[in-house]
Amino acid sequence: MSGVYYAASHSNIKSPAGGRKVERNLLFLAALYLLAGIMALYLGESGSRVIIAVAAGLTVAAAFLLVHVYWKASGFKGDHYLFPVTAMLISTGLVFLFRLDPYYGMRQFIWILAGLGTLVFTSRVLLDLRFLGDYKYIYALLGLIALILPIFFGKEQGGAKSWLDFGFFQLQPSEFVKILLVLFLAGYLAENRAVLAAGARSLGGISLPGLPEWAPLVIMWGVSLLLLVFQRDLGAALIYFSTFLAMVYAATARIFYVLFGLGLFIAGSSASYLLFDHVRARVLIWLNPWPYIDNIGYQITQSLFAIGSGGIFGAGLGQGYPGYIPLVHSDFIFPAICEELGLLGGAGIIILFMMLIFRGIKIALRVRDEFLALVAIGLTSLLGLQAFIIIAGVTRLLPLTGVTLPYVSYGGSSLVANFILLGLLLNISHEADDSL
Amino acid sequence: MKQNIKRLGILIICLLAILVFYLSYLNVVRGSENVVNPHNRRLQEYESQVRRGTIYDSKGVVLATTGLSGEKNKRVYPRGSETAHILGYISEKYGRAGLESTCDRYLLGLEGADRARNYINRLLGREQLGGDVTLTIDSYLQGLALDLLGKRRGAVVLLDPRTGALLALVSNPVYDPNKLEEIWPQLIQDEDSPLLNRAVQGAYPPGSTFKIVTAAGALAARPDASRQTFNCRGLLEVNGYELEDTAVHGRVDIKKAIAVSCNTTFAQLGLDQGAQNFVTTIKAFGIDQDPGIGLPVRPGTMASPEEIIPTELAGSAIGQGELLVSPLHMALVAAAIANSGDLMKPYLVKTVKDSMGQVLQREEARHWLNVTTPQICGIIKDGMVDAVRSGTATAAGVAGVQVAGKTGSAQNPHGQTHAWFIGFAPADQPRLAVAVLVENAGSGGSVAAPVAGQLISTALNKGY
Repeated sequence: MSGVYYAASHSNIKSPAGGRKVERNLLFLAALYLLAGIMALYLGESGSRVIIAVAAGLTVAAAFLLVHVYWKASGFKGDHYLFPVTAMLISTGLVFLFRLDPYYGMRQFIWILAGLGTLVFTSRVLLDLRFLGDYKYIYALLGLIALILPIFFGKEQGGAKSWLDFGFFQLQPSEFVKILLVLFLAGYLAENRAVLAAGARSLGGISLPGLPEWAPLVIMWGVSLLLLVFQRDLGAALIYFSTFLAMVYAATARIFYVLFGLGLFIAGSSASYLLFDHVRARVLIWLNPWPYIDNIGYQITQSLFAIGSGGIFGAGLGQGYPGYIPLVHSDFIFPAICEELGLLGGAGIIILFMMLIFRGIKIALRVRDEFLALVAIGLTSLLGLQAFIIIAGVTRLLPLTGVTLPYVSYGGSSLVANFILLGLLLNISHEADDSL
Repeated sequence: MKQNIKRLGILIICLLAILVFYLSYLNVVRGSENVVNPHNRRLQEYESQVRRGTIYDSKGVVLATTGLSGEKNKRVYPRGSETAHILGYISEKYGRAGLESTCDRYLLGLEGADRARNYINRLLGREQLGGDVTLTIDSYLQGLALDLLGKRRGAVVLLDPRTGALLALVSNPVYDPNKLEEIWPQLIQDEDSPLLNRAVQGAYPPGSTFKIVTAAGALAARPDASRQTFNCRGLLEVNGYELEDTAVHGRVDIKKAIAVSCNTTFAQLGLDQGAQNFVTTIKAFGIDQDPGIGLPVRPGTMASPEEIIPTELAGSAIGQGELLVSPLHMALVAAAIANSGDLMKPYLVKTVKDSMGQVLQREEARHWLNVTTPQICGIIKDGMVDAVRSGTATAAGVAGVQVAGKTGSAQNPHGQTHAWFIGFAPADQPRLAVAVLVENAGSGGSVAAPVAGQLISTALNKGY
């Protein structure tokens, strides 16, 4: 895939508007990959289970191409690579969910269709994003409300109280708030960038901006973090925090802010380590999970067993035993992929994320509007950091914090939110192409 | 700002690249380490797909093999209970233990070329094959040692002090691994704990056999101790407590004290060398370590040097303090003296072959610890030879061969004394080192020494 990608990477700017040939060719590959995966899963089997899965696969593959056809017809000039790479990730996720538990496979199938609808909707309604910068405080307010709701009306799941229950489905507001956070920060930083970068006064040799300039930032960050602590959603807190730092750095290039932020982070995590048992437990099983293999260390050790058992080539689709890992369909889907597709499959997933990040950065570099550039780099960082945090967590490189692997894990909120994210990135690239 | 975005982007891509490297490290460098963890339930699944390899003794006798019973592979142990504690078991219900568990990666064909071969076999739907393991154990001697213990609880360890190869490692009572699943409920309720491998997991006061260690420490601390004489009046007073001896031994030197097992002399030698030196000596013998033979060994336990008050020191010097050791550790004490202070690393697995007969691993004699000097070993050996010739250990004597030995009768809270014997033979060029322990069976000289004598005699006759 990377070969095709590279060979075509310089032709897209020259390609006639509305052509989208690169995207079409890559999408064909993704659709083929999806169908091959579904077929391999039910090789030699028959029955209604197979028909449903194959039908779902065909529908998603067709939906991928339909989105492309719509964009082509409407003259959309968004990036050609983002969607096919995402489609590869989504396909991997769908195949694995059907393999792990067809119940989740079917639900994910519905969510993918809903997500693709959202993607088309986003690419149409929010095509010109520049106006979004004007409403930053509305995002901050909306985000806070969305985070407060689960504390009062939320449902606890997997130790985190971050879901809103709507009967037939559950919504995780923090997945959407992360996008609002990026929009808010981008709007805010674009407006105050100059002041923040230069500093208005000097304190002990370090020039600092005035309180009014940076107070809203820290307040926004602190409140969102506190809320997450109350929801016990450590993963989301970590992502918010690292995205926050990344965007501040991108806007100001001041290492001081990053160091200051890291200091806050160390203080905050030490405090929560001392205050909360569940945080201490995470650190404990990160340092050495083996003594706790029968209780709190069970999940991570099962994950390590799965990754180790996969070896380089993997056990083969459907040939491993990823079912031993609790929550394998959501946060722990990566070890399942490693077990059955091996090191090569696992590395492939990571490389797909690298491609997304690479395209995201290109878009951020290409667009002239500062707000849009900040949104692009913010969303890109968000995506990359989330993938990094969960993969590092399930491989025990970092302490485990439960977040989904974007586009791959099961989860409606996560999927739809990440489709909105994709749509926004595409719209910015459309904008960038226009401004060339 | 473009510059910052670029730098940030590179950072994030690097983070993801680190994941790729780390994942490769987990898979390639750490290999199957995580896979063979006995807690990995996949092993049980592999069990049904792979024809598990065979375990042989040093003479090629089959100790464990996989036969087909109905649809399922069934593990068979032809020597039954004789090797149960060494081989352990693999059970769907009760988990995995012993060398069966330790050698999983080889027996299930997860290492070397077998890994790739079995991958292809699985894809082609062919039977997957595991590799074979050959032990240093001689099943004849293993069986003999078990017979010599009879119905008595205890342990026997026999090894070659020149290489560290373990020839017999017996724990009694035993169980039949072929019927493990049926008898498990009784096994875990049995007061005699047949599942416990006493040879490596037992924790016993060493009694007078520990005087060997005390002697080595005293001679290292003060070389002229070899010329010193002690006057045993059958009693030694330490901080107001009276330490009684079994007899009034009169004037003895260190060799004579070993031969007659004089408590007052060794209590005095312990006090003279001090707690620090005593503990250093214990560590020099590796008693506080698990030597890593493929079975978990319980490291010896003792009070820390700061906590050892004179009464505890005097007691520990004759093996009656807080100190607890395993029979394997005491066999290693004998082996260290036998091999002139150069303790070889003990081992159980001699060779590992993959399913095509390619040797994956061949264990060779490896130096483990520099315990003490040849001079000190010489002095101690003389005392041990005298003990067998005319002292407390005469029952370990073998016609035509000079045996060196030391008995022990360790007092304990559970009844009669534990009978101990440690020793080696032939004394001038030792090829065998042994430790025998019989729980609550009486004196070492009358109970443990004869077991050692017969075992040594038979082993020497068999060419060891």
